[in-house]
Amino acid sequence: MSTNGMDAPVVLSVRNLRKYFPIRGGFFGTRVGDVRAVDGVSFDIREGETVGLVGESGCGKTTVGRMLLRLIEPTSGHAYYRPPEDVEDRLDELYRQLPATTGANNGGSSPPVRPQVVTELDQLAAKYSLYRKSPRAMRKLRGKLQIVFQDPFSSLSPRMLVKDILSEPLEVHHAGTRAQRAARVTQLLRDVGLNPEHEWRFPHEFSGGQRQRIGIARALALRPEFIVLDEPTSALDVSVQAQVLNILKKLQVDQRLAYLFISHHLSVVRAMAHRVVVMYLGVVVEMADTDPLFTQPLHPYTQALLSAIPIPDPELKRERVVLQGDVPSPAAPPSGCRFHTRCPAVMPICSQVDPPMLEVRPRHWVACHLYPQGIEAAAPSESTASMPAPLADTPLSGTAT
Amino acid sequence: MGCGMPLTRASGGEVISTAVATPPTSTSPPLADSRPPADTPEWTASAGSAEIFSPETMILKVKDLRTYFYTYDGVVKALDGVTFKVHRGKTTGLVGETGCGKSVTAFSVTRLIADPPGRIMSGEVLFEGADLLWGLKEEAKFTPIGDTGRVKVKRKFRRIKAANERMSAVRGRAISTIFQEPTQAMNPVFSIGDQLSEVLLLHRGMAIIDEMMKATPDSPAVGRAGAQLIDAARTGVREEIRAAAIRFGEAAHAPSVGTQAFYIVRATTSRPDELRRELGRSLDRLRLGAGARRYLRYQRRLLEIQEKLNEVYFSEMTERAPHTTARLGLGRRAGQLRLSHFYYRIPLVRSRLDRALKRELFWRVVHLLEGVSIANPVQIARGYPHELSGGMLQRVMIAMSLSSEPDLLIADEPTTALDVTIQAQILELMRDLKTRVGTAILLITHDLAVIAEVADDVCVMYAGVIVEKGPVREVFRRPLHPYAQGLLASIPRLDQPSKELTSIPGSVPNLISPPTGCRFHPRCPYAMEICKTAPPPMTIEGPGHTVACYLYQGPVENA
Repeated sequence: MSTNGMDAPVVLSVRNLRKYFPIRGGFFGTRVGDVRAVDGVSFDIREGETVGLVGESGCGKTTVGRMLLRLIEPTSGHAYYRPPEDVEDRLDELYRQLPATTGANNGGSSPPVRPQVVTELDQLAAKYSLYRKSPRAMRKLRGKLQIVFQDPFSSLSPRMLVKDILSEPLEVHHAGTRAQRAARVTQLLRDVGLNPEHEWRFPHEFSGGQRQRIGIARALALRPEFIVLDEPTSALDVSVQAQVLNILKKLQVDQRLAYLFISHHLSVVRAMAHRVVVMYLGVVVEMADTDPLFTQPLHPYTQALLSAIPIPDPELKRERVVLQGDVPSPAAPPSGCRFHTRCPAVMPICSQVDPPMLEVRPRHWVACHLYPQGIEAAAPSESTASMPAPLADTPLSGTAT
Repeated sequence: MGCGMPLTRASGGEVISTAVATPPTSTSPPLADSRPPADTPEWTASAGSAEIFSPETMILKVKDLRTYFYTYDGVVKALDGVTFKVHRGKTTGLVGETGCGKSVTAFSVTRLIADPPGRIMSGEVLFEGADLLWGLKEEAKFTPIGDTGRVKVKRKFRRIKAANERMSAVRGRAISTIFQEPTQAMNPVFSIGDQLSEVLLLHRGMAIIDEMMKATPDSPAVGRAGAQLIDAARTGVREEIRAAAIRFGEAAHAPSVGTQAFYIVRATTSRPDELRRELGRSLDRLRLGAGARRYLRYQRRLLEIQEKLNEVYFSEMTERAPHTTARLGLGRRAGQLRLSHFYYRIPLVRSRLDRALKRELFWRVVHLLEGVSIANPVQIARGYPHELSGGMLQRVMIAMSLSSEPDLLIADEPTTALDVTIQAQILELMRDLKTRVGTAILLITHDLAVIAEVADDVCVMYAGVIVEKGPVREVFRRPLHPYAQGLLASIPRLDQPSKELTSIPGSVPNLISPPTGCRFHPRCPYAMEICKTAPPPMTIEGPGHTVACYLYQGPVENA
């Protein structure tokens, strides 16, 4: 499925992104705590690639998407915009020398960071990070980074004609003459499968699927490089959802768009994404190409998530891992691995040490104590870790304790 | 009289006893003609399928149901001739897109359509031989306004109110509903325990009061069982404590004390003296004083009158004739009872006397919450709806709708507002329920995958009509209607990732002016001339598998 490998240039390189929302309370509304919505998220998005971001509600998916557009300012961390290849490699090297993950959660003491690393990272961030761009530079970039919102009923102004909705971004960015803008609007409507005469209508005259297509057309107006698709089809019916997904796929091929596809609907992600990032309670637990992730998920959370999805085939009966309980509150996340309270394969170490993100197989990262370092050489990976394997019995679990 | 059974038609008067003499299902004519017609192919006439369609296995039959909404823009024909059946102990799925009338169907069955603007126009909803739509024709008059095409609806509110009262014999106790948004279905100002207690008292109150009266807190067996429980508490083994607590409850002839004892042991760990004191305190609430007993008897008599009234209502719907005298007589008796015991309305008096009943109900609620695998039921029962997550609240809703042991459970998008992992928990619960309790479920959802996981039969709806019906396996393996085919082809499949997603062109039609003929024809790839003129009949294309499409020429179903 993943046609574009590692060779395509990186559009956004996200490193250690964090967002803590303060909880205000007490006397004079002082800060009494933090909701750790996003707590150290790192991944790359390449040209022409769809990265799927999945997780349950409240795991920080949407916050990540909005931070990538600077609709929300992160607490710390960076998103590097189009770093050259050598810079990308250097970044990886520098980040490797930083303490592995969230520090606060980590029981073990890490070696002190050399000051050179910090200064060099700072210099690179000043040059490439989105969050260091001046307002003027950022405004230029905003045309390149766009978003399609979840709810097509509230994301379009009810008082504007479709043509005004679509030409507004062009006007804001002073793109072309009036006639050119009008031509672009017609072109955009055609691109998303609407009729040019629809431009004289108001949003309320359209169905949900058509409105979502208007939202997509608006995002496309400035010829972006990267679009955040924040649950673009969850408000739509299945028959219409397929229309929207197909349009998105076609546009990606035509314009080499990079997508961040945020969804809790895993079957949709499987149909759309080249790579998938699985989040749980603000952290990334697993990251891999789509096919390996869905056929051989490694993290117990991913396994549970996959087995929880109902399959529209009554003849198919599966073993399922039903997770007990609810997602814990991100204001007081569990110690160590955040999933240990619901994990079916929990070990003593899980409640103490936050597992680091490791490349267990080529291009397959997972943060779980079941897969300690260097295991990819020892484990006969392809055969044992098939999907419904009982977790406790895998040879991997014994080595970690 | 059988207090536990919600719909026992015991002798409550001359008129009612006739309903007892003959089982209602065999006498009512509309059910009798549901057998397959004689000139059908051999598989419909075979013994197996005849058994499927017999009224003994059928719990709900909806025939030609039409529900319209009278809005300023025009008449929305939300349901236009919906026909389906729900079988005992089976789960029937109702699937379709937004606005196709799934929820309207559910609300029409229990007559919860907001009126105005909505009105059930015609049709039959037969539930255990009772016609839930009885008296519908007299409830409103429709007069066209000139030749504008608009209609003036004059409602007769006394009739509507009477029908509403009749439905109280069915709603909640025989048919209960799980609504889509659990956060909106619960009352935010009452604790969860109180809300569930109310339901319990209403539907199972008489049995509960009887058990309270019969409790034996002072028998020697209680002392022995208590000592055993304290021994078990010392071991700390959960299962042993549970078993000993249940025995303790049985010894006192009060199962709720068993539940309470279990949580007392869990709260006060291994302190025998403290434990003994706490257990004694829980037994104290069974030692009823004379005043409390009198109050319970009063409550029981009120509930008994209500129960008899429900029987009258139910037999009204079965025989389709009002028993006004019986109804009025019971109403008068309830009024007299309340008047002669008006001092129970004084808050201070009442709160002292109903304390025992409240505690009994609370611990029964805890037991109910255990049944839907809630981890800490005592805290949850004391909590309020806003403190719970959607998944937890949905479980509470399920516990509430099951507390009356309904014959039919209507689940209206029970998992739509929930995450996949929580959805899996709820679906597991519903499957378990089907096998353990044998409740018939009408499952309404837009998610075909959920249907495939849980349902036995499925009805596919489109724009207010059912276009295809059949056993789940049959419909998923061989979808016949172009809409069902399109719907199945358009779901992204986790197990078939490379599959090209096909979509159905166009969108759901406006139901104020729906397309003529087959309502799907503007979007149908196989549309023919005949599709535009007349709606296709439901034809039988396999065992239990029917479809409304001109592409198929099977024998016409006459349900």
